[in-house]
Amino acid sequence: MKVKKMLAAGMAATMVASLGLTGCSGSSNDSADTNTQANSETAAQGGDSAETEADASAESDVEKPEKIKIMVDGTVFTQANARDKFEARWEELTGIDLEIIQPDHDAYYDVVGQTFASGPENWPDAMILSSSYYTGYAEEGALWDMTAAWENSDLKASGRVTGEDVIENMKIDGQLYGFPVTRGNGCITYVKKAWLDNCGLEAPTNYEEYLAMLEAFTTGDPDGNGVNGDTYGVSAAGIIAAEAPYTNYLPEFYQDAYSSFIKGDDGVWYDGFTQDNFKDALGRLREAYAAGYIDKESLTNGTNDCRNKFYEDKFGVFTYWAGTWNTNLKTNLEAQGLDGELVALPPIAELGAYTERNSPVWCITATCENPEGVFKYLIESMLDGGDMQTLWTYGVEDVHWSTKAETVCDNTYEEGQFHFEESLERPGTQYTKAHIDPMLSIVTWENDPGSAAIPEESKNSQQIFNDNCVQAQLVPSTEEMATYNGDLTTLKNSIIADVVVQGISIDEAYARFESEGGAQWSQMIVDSLNAQ
Amino acid sequence: MSKKGKGSAVAVNAAGENKRPLLVSLHYYRGFYVMFLPVLIFAVVFHYLPMVGIRYAFCTYKGIKAPEFIGLGNFEKMISMPGFWSAFGNTLVISIVKLLLNTFMAVILSILLNELRNLKFKKFAQTVVYLPHFMSWVVTASVFTLILSPTNAGLVNSILIKLGILDEGVYFLGSQDWWRPMYYVINVWKDTGWGTIIFMATLSGISPELYEAASMDGAGRWNCMRYITLPALANTIITVLILNLAKIMNLFESVFVLQNDAVVKQADVLQTYIYTQTFNSGALPDYGYTTAVGLASSIVGCILVLVCNKASYKVRGRGIV
Repeated sequence: MKVKKMLAAGMAATMVASLGLTGCSGSSNDSADTNTQANSETAAQGGDSAETEADASAESDVEKPEKIKIMVDGTVFTQANARDKFEARWEELTGIDLEIIQPDHDAYYDVVGQTFASGPENWPDAMILSSSYYTGYAEEGALWDMTAAWENSDLKASGRVTGEDVIENMKIDGQLYGFPVTRGNGCITYVKKAWLDNCGLEAPTNYEEYLAMLEAFTTGDPDGNGVNGDTYGVSAAGIIAAEAPYTNYLPEFYQDAYSSFIKGDDGVWYDGFTQDNFKDALGRLREAYAAGYIDKESLTNGTNDCRNKFYEDKFGVFTYWAGTWNTNLKTNLEAQGLDGELVALPPIAELGAYTERNSPVWCITATCENPEGVFKYLIESMLDGGDMQTLWTYGVEDVHWSTKAETVCDNTYEEGQFHFEESLERPGTQYTKAHIDPMLSIVTWENDPGSAAIPEESKNSQQIFNDNCVQAQLVPSTEEMATYNGDLTTLKNSIIADVVVQGISIDEAYARFESEGGAQWSQMIVDSLNAQ
Repeated sequence: MSKKGKGSAVAVNAAGENKRPLLVSLHYYRGFYVMFLPVLIFAVVFHYLPMVGIRYAFCTYKGIKAPEFIGLGNFEKMISMPGFWSAFGNTLVISIVKLLLNTFMAVILSILLNELRNLKFKKFAQTVVYLPHFMSWVVTASVFTLILSPTNAGLVNSILIKLGILDEGVYFLGSQDWWRPMYYVINVWKDTGWGTIIFMATLSGISPELYEAASMDGAGRWNCMRYITLPALANTIITVLILNLAKIMNLFESVFVLQNDAVVKQADVLQTYIYTQTFNSGALPDYGYTTAVGLASSIVGCILVLVCNKASYKVRGRGIV
């Protein structure tokens, strides 16, 4: 019996050891070799200015790919929304075979990770990546450096690009590995006009007025139901958001403070959480929460909860996406029999500017055989100001949009009037956009067929946001970031909740930050960022 | 020479004796083996092959470049992180309390259901208590977030305020003192009914003659329960506890949907810790580290199974594995 047990234990140990040894012997990994090669190519393409000039002269000679394989999330028409028609139209316009891999939107980055891990032979030619994954994959050498392609592109030479700052902001160490076809957009503060009127208030322009408005909305009768104090000022999905820019749901309280890593004007990285202005912001949030101005359930709210409460007239100030969402909020309020007019606030004086998130980008993988061709015929063509831009912005004519005289979802349109068709996936509603939001376009587009169809309030809130925003900084990915930032973010968020919801003192909170290792991890990450 | 010759003859004999019956029996039971084949393939493909991923626990690996062997580096980092120990402690405490509470409540409910004399009502009651088990955790969390809301919309707070027990609403799910008790209550609500099935089956197996004899001896309901029902259930209770103890490291969904920033110290368990490390770092995750944490969790689970097996031998005279 003992011999059997020893044999079993020995076999188990041998199995674990063999698994470990076979798996971790880096020399035997083909993908490593391929990646190294890909990285060498990438470095060569990005680093040599002479070669860049050579590329420039060869711009007109870019070979047209026969086939392009892309991986996209749910922001491109899904199968249920006639993706096959979209694909057919794209192929008709380019003469290139397009293969679309479209995982479920919610599981997109899981599939992206699995695809990269499965080996370069399975990588698509191009894919959509959000900013945090973009920097990580770029630094791992998985993405093609498109700096030269962009610099020498017809699009840049056309002079139509209005969002060059957006493109510049996506550069990592001066190199561009992903192309944003739109602005990133962000959250703007909406105030119910009827509530302001009921309280006899003007739209606030500074923090004092903002706080007075919240007080009136919390203690008064802004909804006019005859009961004082049955409403509150503002709600948010979390005291601090889960994704960058983290402070965007309650910007008037955070003002110039930021909870994560930022680069100062002097080019030095620091952790915003450790700054005095962040402690001040925590103080403002704690006071407002204790006074009942901020929804007591903000900690457990999801964005859907906030929207529903807003439609139920429980609160009056909501910081949410600029542009199309202004119309969505208005429509839903009106559907509840409420006044849907919303005031989109320019940032209050202490805030200065809203933060625009980093736009998701189109990237070309390092193993793509004809990256210049993919850049030109896939990415650059999305902003051609013609049929292709129409396709990516509105979809396929007579499938996703139309100019025919017809009635769609009880809305009647005349001949020649641009309108969206009824959604195939959600009958009873109309499409609102395709992959590119026309209001977030980074190019001028004279012949935009749908510009007249954009509701005025959407245009207005988007314009206020675009005129009053700064772009979130792209934070590079470092070893220390990957190692410690998960724990650090959890600790910071816990401390913020402790101060705001549990009401502990700020000194006590920062003592916890020290004692639980937060200060040390923060410094290690800051050092790694500054060492780059 | 003679010893060597004798030894090899024995080996040949032994090999011969073992081989022939195996082949014969394989052939004889070939139909069963063919039926077993899909299960074997399923187990190998979906349970054993993924174990190859264990090797990443000894490497740094971000999914692009080849894994880099770092020995026990990930485990060293793991034991140096306070977040890991907090999650480890929470996993054990939350799981064990939940297990004991759910089992205790299931026993009580089973006994109560067993006492019901109206068969139709008994079936109805059983169906009603089973239903919460079929609700997804996301829906359950939404419902209880509403019920436990600190505002006027919260049923519990409204009642407590109306009764004069509270002056203002308590943020149960956002309170470090209240989160765990509420978590246990929600778990009891959701899983107690389902847990009664096995106890109800045991109770239905108790001979009615025992109760008749006891009542003839003057035993009331309480004494019948104390001296007949509970002793009959004892073995089942221990079996259920032992079997569930082996699964306590797998806590994820119920905690994930109910936790929030304010209660992370009280609520973070190993599986949610792994999730945070993978998706909330703001950088490409190091799958090596998260695999190491997962492996540590599995080893603890494995040890618990062995302990349970030992306990089972002691209590029931036979093991569970």
